[in-house]
Amino acid sequence: MKLQLSWLNDFVKVDDITPQELADKLVGIGFEVEEIIYTGAEIDKVVTAKILDIKPHADADKLSVCMVDSGNEILTIVTGAKNISVGDMVPLALDGSTLPGGKKIVSSPLRGVMSYGMLCSGKELGVDESTVKGASANGILILDKNVAPGLDIREVLGLNEYIFDISLTANRPDCQSVYGMAREVGALLSRKVKAPSLKYKTVANNESVSVKISAPDLCSRYSARLIGNIKVQESPLWMRRRLKNSGLNPINNIVDITNYVLLEIGQPLHAFDTAFIDGGINVRTAKPGETITALDGNLYELKENMLVIADDKKPLAIAGVMGGEYSGINDNTKTVLLEAARFARGTVRSTSRALGLRSDSSARYEKGVDYMSIDLGRERALSLISQLKAGDIYSFVGYDGIKEPKEKVIKTSAEAICGILGIKIKASDIIKILKSLEITVEDNGSALICHIPRFREDIDNYTDLAEEVIRFYGYDHIVPTLFKLSETTFGGLNNEQKKIERYKSYLVGKGMNEIISYSFINPDFYDKLLFDKNDGVRNAIRIMNPLSEEYSVMRTQLTGSMLDVVRLNCSRKNENFRLFEIAKTYIPNTDEPNELPFENQTLSVAFVGKDEDFYDIKSVLCNMPDLANIDYKLGYSEKRFLHPGISADIIIDGNIIGSFGKVHPTVAKNFDIPENVYVGELNLEYIIDKKRSTVKYDPLPKYPGVARDIAVTVKADYLVGDMFDSVKCAAGELFESIELFDVYTGEQIEKGFKSVAFSVKLRNKEKTLTETEITDTMKAIIEVLEKDFGAKLRS
Amino acid sequence: MEEKIRQLTERVESSVLSCADMRTLNDLKVGVLGKSGELTAILRNIKDLPPEQKPAAGKIVNEARVKLEKIFAERGKALEEKELNEKLASEKIDITIDKNVLKGGLHPLNIVRNKIVDFFVSLGFIVADSPEIEKNYYNFEALNIPEDHPAREIQDTFFVTKDICLRSQTSTGQIRMMEKVKPPIKMISPGRVYRSDNPDATHSPMFHQIEGLVVDKNITMCDLKGILELFAKEIFGESTKIRFRPSYFPFTEPSIEVDATCSHCHGAGCRVCKGTGWIEILGAGIVNRNVLKNCSIDPDVYTGFAFGAGMDRITNIFHGITDARVPFENDVRFLKQFN
Repeated sequence: MKLQLSWLNDFVKVDDITPQELADKLVGIGFEVEEIIYTGAEIDKVVTAKILDIKPHADADKLSVCMVDSGNEILTIVTGAKNISVGDMVPLALDGSTLPGGKKIVSSPLRGVMSYGMLCSGKELGVDESTVKGASANGILILDKNVAPGLDIREVLGLNEYIFDISLTANRPDCQSVYGMAREVGALLSRKVKAPSLKYKTVANNESVSVKISAPDLCSRYSARLIGNIKVQESPLWMRRRLKNSGLNPINNIVDITNYVLLEIGQPLHAFDTAFIDGGINVRTAKPGETITALDGNLYELKENMLVIADDKKPLAIAGVMGGEYSGINDNTKTVLLEAARFARGTVRSTSRALGLRSDSSARYEKGVDYMSIDLGRERALSLISQLKAGDIYSFVGYDGIKEPKEKVIKTSAEAICGILGIKIKASDIIKILKSLEITVEDNGSALICHIPRFREDIDNYTDLAEEVIRFYGYDHIVPTLFKLSETTFGGLNNEQKKIERYKSYLVGKGMNEIISYSFINPDFYDKLLFDKNDGVRNAIRIMNPLSEEYSVMRTQLTGSMLDVVRLNCSRKNENFRLFEIAKTYIPNTDEPNELPFENQTLSVAFVGKDEDFYDIKSVLCNMPDLANIDYKLGYSEKRFLHPGISADIIIDGNIIGSFGKVHPTVAKNFDIPENVYVGELNLEYIIDKKRSTVKYDPLPKYPGVARDIAVTVKADYLVGDMFDSVKCAAGELFESIELFDVYTGEQIEKGFKSVAFSVKLRNKEKTLTETEITDTMKAIIEVLEKDFGAKLRS
Repeated sequence: MEEKIRQLTERVESSVLSCADMRTLNDLKVGVLGKSGELTAILRNIKDLPPEQKPAAGKIVNEARVKLEKIFAERGKALEEKELNEKLASEKIDITIDKNVLKGGLHPLNIVRNKIVDFFVSLGFIVADSPEIEKNYYNFEALNIPEDHPAREIQDTFFVTKDICLRSQTSTGQIRMMEKVKPPIKMISPGRVYRSDNPDATHSPMFHQIEGLVVDKNITMCDLKGILELFAKEIFGESTKIRFRPSYFPFTEPSIEVDATCSHCHGAGCRVCKGTGWIEILGAGIVNRNVLKNCSIDPDVYTGFAFGAGMDRITNIFHGITDARVPFENDVRFLKQFN
């Protein structure tokens, strides 16, 4: 909120401390001053000056040469203005002065005559007719003749106001006003807070309007007064300036008073011209199909949950948001009904949002208006009407709703308050602080009975009081301690969290960089990845209110996001990189659609670069910790985003838990990435909880083993893995290991065949191998290869 | 003979010293000490001397032999060392050449996350995960955020159904924890959170928070300050100081914002801290009594504190990242700066 310090000073003396000092102190009690605005900040060295003489410029028809009295010297000023006369008091920008917008004025010759400054228009000084008479004149701003020369123009035009832009927390709607802040500042500075003047005289009159609340849930209190003999006119300068400084345009005395009270007391008010009220006031929800043309001239269709102020025939206003077009104040207004009410903040907010219609009143109601400000605001407005002689205040008081809410009483103790804070504060200090906040405290020796003022709706229990105490006692008094009185606890990561960290360390060690991508994706990823229209992976959770289609579904796979990151990197000419992400995929609970979805820890990887191949991604994924110790199978993948011949599924117990391989060329095209990109995705939930049984030491061999190399040619479509399985089987107990060292096709090998060369290691754990054992085993191996694979031994 | 040996020794000694390589040295050694070497010849002649001269002569020859062997050995060692050094020098390579090995690393957000997690784990905190897609109850009601609170507006939070949303804060983890575990509780809960903000230099629709919660008997505001002061020192450096400012959150009372002395200017005032010398690092407070009640924990017996920090913000401040979008672009040139 914007707080004008001179306005604040009406209620609590602050003109003897600097704005900066006050701002610093306010931070300590929870009011962050985001900006200190000085309304004259853009104006410097502009003074009042009296025109002593005007002569035409010898060399320019359109210019005049003036002699002006700037207070301490007589200066020559050249001007093009025509609206000045000798004896006028005008603003003079001196040599070296600054004007709004950063314009600098320096002495300079104009057509051969030296001008030692510039006479200013209202526009050049950033003022308009609403606060400065003559500001819109075509030419120089002519000031009051009685002003002395040499005065700072900021003082004369009221541009010397300090305004705090304060960020208020949501629990303190009572501070959304000058008076509300005055109460806090009074407590902060230990100064008396002056109550606003509420004096006025009523005129006996029997006019009345019935007032009824038909929707008590949405309006807890409604009050109305009648003011007759309205004299609609301009409000006084001081009021116009304060409104202007708050960003409100002065309109007329009645509207200005309601706005002024909104700023000063925090109570939104509404003035209805009674000429347009048919019958009584009824606060009710809108009827089906009801419409209203608001003050902004637009027609609004009302919904049945919207609250309106209606008369017997029609809605007069959208409650708390805006009045109807015809109910407003105009020059013919004779009698006004002044409304002060409390509408539920939720209803004002939802109505304002639904209609796309906001006002200062709705903004205020959304934050919350307290019960007490209804009366205070209304009475203050009546007092101002009386002060400004804007009308006669009739004796009628219209009322419905809760008269007075129950007073909150909190029983607590200094010990309880200090118990939360962890420091000792004397009971007398606690009482003093609470009392400064208008909390009445009875100290009965063992307890503090605190009576909470009604404007403090945020205070519910002793912890709220503890907060009030420490706010003013000072958080600097809190001393750091480390659980002096509490139990030691056992901390740490759980098994799953440790596993994730382990996987990440492993992947980082493989030269991979971790990425973090958004959990929501564009559903077109599923098309780009060529997923079948009926593929279950497309059953993703949709956000009801996404920012855009691009971020609209919660991903059920990570590969789309990964390829999008690859796209960004490739478009920026980054090459040769490996990426991974471990994040959740969100799988809808199809059995219980009202329950939360499953969130599965998932790994996504990408290998990008001319040197990467299928076996790189395979070796990294298949040697993942945990996975490496599980009995899994590999099979050609049918995932359509992968190359059908250069891809594999990782299968555990018949479930495909992951797939990897080269991206399908169509997918590469869809994502605008090069073709030589390898991606993989693995559902970590299948491996994360696998506990490895305790490793039992296998004694290292005592007897030597032998290695034998074999090279065979087989049909090209036989799989090396299958051949090795047969070899292993054939070698039986003597088998130790097998290692591929070459697969070759080309010259010397018949077309459609390949040469596979490998080394088999045999060992007998009990004794040294005999030559016969070796020969027999090798023979068995070759036989099985010949039989099952039609292998031919290469010499 | 004595003179002869003296001359031989002198001659050999100077030849040895001028020997430039092992082979010459060995040849020389054979020529002197070998079977048909000069000294061996002299030794052989001793047998022709009169018996009374034999011992003295033998002694002289042996002394000469010992001395010469020592000279040869020393020179040999020196030459070997010289030759080895020459070999090593000839093998010198260009160490500025790199082999093309990919270097990996964690995302900077997770580097900072791990640092934070490690710190709290060392103080006896457990790490709790909780759902990102969450029931409104956990994101709002249980946290004492009433139905008409602005945070519940559709434009601030992403909703999946009218009852389920993407959590807008990791504070949901407090409730999940307190429903399951009774005090003493010390936990942190880091993770992704979502708010309906279009990505720009200071906003992201997805970001990361870390929630902290301690519930036990006699937990005070002083304990909160103690732990957060240690935390700030751990993250921003030993000389970091913190200050508490009153604030408001529905789920804590009293509530505070915590500022740390600016890690860039150390409190002097700079662009990062907008001249104040302080940067806001997190929000915290004493757990609201209603929140404890919602989790069936007696607020008259137990108290607790909670805090929530924006990890992205801390990371960005720490590393001088000025655009919140950059960490989510995942440009490898960005990522590799943190390897």
